[in-house]
Amino acid sequence: MKQSADKIDFLRGTLDLSILRTLAPGPAHGHEIAKHIQRSTDDVVQVEHGSLYPALHRLERKGRLDSKWESRDAKREFKYYLLSAAGRKQLVAEESKWNNWWAPSPGLLRLSEG
Amino acid sequence: MNVWRRIKDFGSGGCARKERDLEREIQDHLTLEAEESGWYGARRAFGNTLAVAENVREAWGWTRLEQFARDAAYGLRQVRRNPLFSGIAIATLALGIGGITAMFSAFDAVLIRPMPYADADRLVMIWDEMSGSDVTTKHNSTPAEWIEWRRLNTVFTDLATSQPGDATLSGDGEPEQLPARKVTWTFWSVLGVRPKLGRVFTEDEDNKGVRVVVISHRLWQRRFGGSPDIAGRKISLNDEPYEVIGVMPQGFYFMPSHDIDIWMPASFPSWMRRNFTWHDAHIVARLKPGVAIERARQSMAALSLQVTAKDFRGPHPVIVTPLREEIAGKTQTALILLLCASVALLLIACVNLANLLLSRSAARGREVAVRTALGAGRGRLVAQFLTESLVLAVFGTLAGLALALPGMRFLERLVPEAMGAARLTLDWRVLAFSASVAIAAALTFGLAPALRGSRLAPQEGLRDGGRGTAGARSHWFRHSLIIVETALAVMLLTCGGLLLQTFQHLRNTDLGIRSERLLTFETPLFRYKDFDRRVAFVNAELEQVRGIPGVISAGWINLIPFTNFANATFYRLDGQPTSSFASQVALIRSVSRDYFATAGARLREGRFFSVSDQKSDSPVAIVNEPLANRHFAGQSPLGRRFRFGGNGHWYTIVGVVKQIRESGVLEEAKPAIYRVLEQCDQMNDLSGGIVVRTAVEPASIIQAVRHGIWSLDRNQPLARIRTMEEIVDRQLSTPSQSTALLGAFAVLALLLASLGIYGVLSYAVTQRTNEIGVRMALGATSGEILLSFGKRGLALTLAGLAIGLALAAIAARSMTALLYGFRPDYGPTVIVVSLILLAVAAVACFVPARRASRVDPVVALRNE
Repeated sequence: MKQSADKIDFLRGTLDLSILRTLAPGPAHGHEIAKHIQRSTDDVVQVEHGSLYPALHRLERKGRLDSKWESRDAKREFKYYLLSAAGRKQLVAEESKWNNWWAPSPGLLRLSEG
Repeated sequence: MNVWRRIKDFGSGGCARKERDLEREIQDHLTLEAEESGWYGARRAFGNTLAVAENVREAWGWTRLEQFARDAAYGLRQVRRNPLFSGIAIATLALGIGGITAMFSAFDAVLIRPMPYADADRLVMIWDEMSGSDVTTKHNSTPAEWIEWRRLNTVFTDLATSQPGDATLSGDGEPEQLPARKVTWTFWSVLGVRPKLGRVFTEDEDNKGVRVVVISHRLWQRRFGGSPDIAGRKISLNDEPYEVIGVMPQGFYFMPSHDIDIWMPASFPSWMRRNFTWHDAHIVARLKPGVAIERARQSMAALSLQVTAKDFRGPHPVIVTPLREEIAGKTQTALILLLCASVALLLIACVNLANLLLSRSAARGREVAVRTALGAGRGRLVAQFLTESLVLAVFGTLAGLALALPGMRFLERLVPEAMGAARLTLDWRVLAFSASVAIAAALTFGLAPALRGSRLAPQEGLRDGGRGTAGARSHWFRHSLIIVETALAVMLLTCGGLLLQTFQHLRNTDLGIRSERLLTFETPLFRYKDFDRRVAFVNAELEQVRGIPGVISAGWINLIPFTNFANATFYRLDGQPTSSFASQVALIRSVSRDYFATAGARLREGRFFSVSDQKSDSPVAIVNEPLANRHFAGQSPLGRRFRFGGNGHWYTIVGVVKQIRESGVLEEAKPAIYRVLEQCDQMNDLSGGIVVRTAVEPASIIQAVRHGIWSLDRNQPLARIRTMEEIVDRQLSTPSQSTALLGAFAVLALLLASLGIYGVLSYAVTQRTNEIGVRMALGATSGEILLSFGKRGLALTLAGLAIGLALAAIAARSMTALLYGFRPDYGPTVIVVSLILLAVAAVACFVPARRASRVDPVVALRNE
């Protein structure tokens, strides 16, 4: 029980970072973010798409992300997330920290909350 | 941060919009994903949508509060849906919380709240120890000691004295006898108080005997209309002009009574400064910073032996006590006991509720199972149950506060006399206390059911007619709850029984006089400067009063019985060595010839005073039984002689009167000597009291008495007009209040405990209806069933009884101060309590057991 709670905390950190990283080039909606994370880890890290949303909303509440409903192709509206100034600052800070001790061995992880 | 946005979201339907957005977001995701991997694949990739939504809501942050609000709303719905259950729960809690709130308000007012002195916890009183005498162990000190202690001590910043004073205000309006004290100029600085108006007197004024007074706020308002230019006003006190120099703030009081109106300079005459036998001063002292009371005791013990060496009694120790303890007196013990009792009652109420909720949480197994299946975690369920308990606690507290208010009016009479009429109110301290009690109570009674109720595995709960939800462990738990509450109830009942026995003993105590239809009042004699004029005035007074229709007889005594500790003196019997003075103290009273007959005192032997007892060189005296027994056990004291000083008259004992508790109804009778007024010319006591035996209602003659006495002297004040029954009732009020309160707590506790037994057994019957049906189908008689349930109830009761009696024995030891020297008999109390408990428990067991024995096997098994 305890162990899995720790794991979730640990993974939550990586998930948050992945989201921030994904949004660094520009706004994206939830599905795009999920797909991007999946692709960028070569499907090694598999996220249950649903577990992305609590993280997105949490980051939004913390002021790391902003969001707006927007329609890109004039057909459908999606909820787009984008980095706020605070989020960008955190990304820079985390990148340097994270790179130091995690980057060398991504390992095989199955990411899922719960 | 965007708190503001969140607040905006929260109100104005933002919540609903957020929910809608979330649903849309998830739908969009699924739709996009379905375009790639099909609808089924999309759902699989996404995971449980409901759980995701719940997690997102949690991330919104406000949800904890929202969840609480939702749970509370649900709790409210539960209250409405089960009015009977909720009613019982709220009423139970209201009793518990109401009781403890009212008790706390009194406890707070008397024992916690700051007294009207600066840094009051550093104030102590110093008494002479007189343990050798029969009269008192703690005696007033002497002004001479004050002077010495003040000069020599190393532990106090300063000391002050307060002596009884006379103050009759005359001039405009009716002459009025005002409660007054003579205090040293240090009084104000020791207590750390300042006048509201004007100033207090100086050392110089005190020493020179300047006629200045400080008055109470009450007197200022009542007699002088709160006039702002009161300082400097001349008033006439004891027919002498005095200048009012200051007014104390409202709420200021000091020992021995809250109603002192006048403080005047002590101005000790020079003989008093050297006299170590004039014990009439209260001494209050302020401990130096950093000096603990223990150190002060040690230091003063050594010093007092040195100082009192000059006393003819020889060196003796002093007693140092905290001021608060002196002021609270016996009330302190009573309040602590009653507060404990109210805690016990609240515990019983909580135990009962825990049991009720346990039964209900078992009945709610299905609901819990459904919630669990829908994804509610255990923590979530526990939070929900606790919130529901809290809702009950809130209602219970509101009802309890409503109950506490009348209780507080009743408790006000328990506040010690020295503190005055404290008005107990539901202020923020009391409310904060009740609120924390409510939360603690909700946790106490809600936690066990919440933990137990939420433990259910969903499959078990969802299975239809789920049986056996409560296993052996649950029985064990609930049974111990019952034992706990029964034990607490037994403890309260036993203590209540002991107090009741004591109170009855006090009520039936032989007062030594007949208190019915006896009017008393005081007429001080300061207006008559010499002894013969005083005697003449007293006799004229008595003559006037006797002439009033409805009066049977009237008598005079310098101090009305039961009201005064003062006036004791050393004496020595003829034939005893001079040194025996030191250890022989007796109360001393002067009376008129017909006083004893009027008061209804009874003679053991000899005679009362008669007309022949006139001013003489061979005066006579009447002693009371304790004095007679002390020196003349088994023989007659008649004809024996004693004297008060080294060279005074010898008094011959002519009668022995049955004891009268002069110093208080609750105080054991002390040795006492009575002399007839005409032969008291050596004493210049200016106090005077009259007792009037009437054939009519005593209060009805008060006007006639006033006019009769004012016809003799227009400026003669009459003070403290009371019936003897009022005096006795007032003194019995602390024991009667504490007995009544503890009795009420005990009865409620018994009621709740029996409800608890009833609840547990009837729950067991409901739960085991099937089993009973089977047993009956297999041939068990209804008698056997009745017995098996009855036995269980009885076993619980007996266990509770045994533990409760043991607890009571411990509790009784801590309440000896409330037994007033009386040793109640445990036997009858224990027997009566046991019988009452067994009878009540028998009813509580019988009803459900009988229901069990009436189970129709056919119906029971059809339920299967």
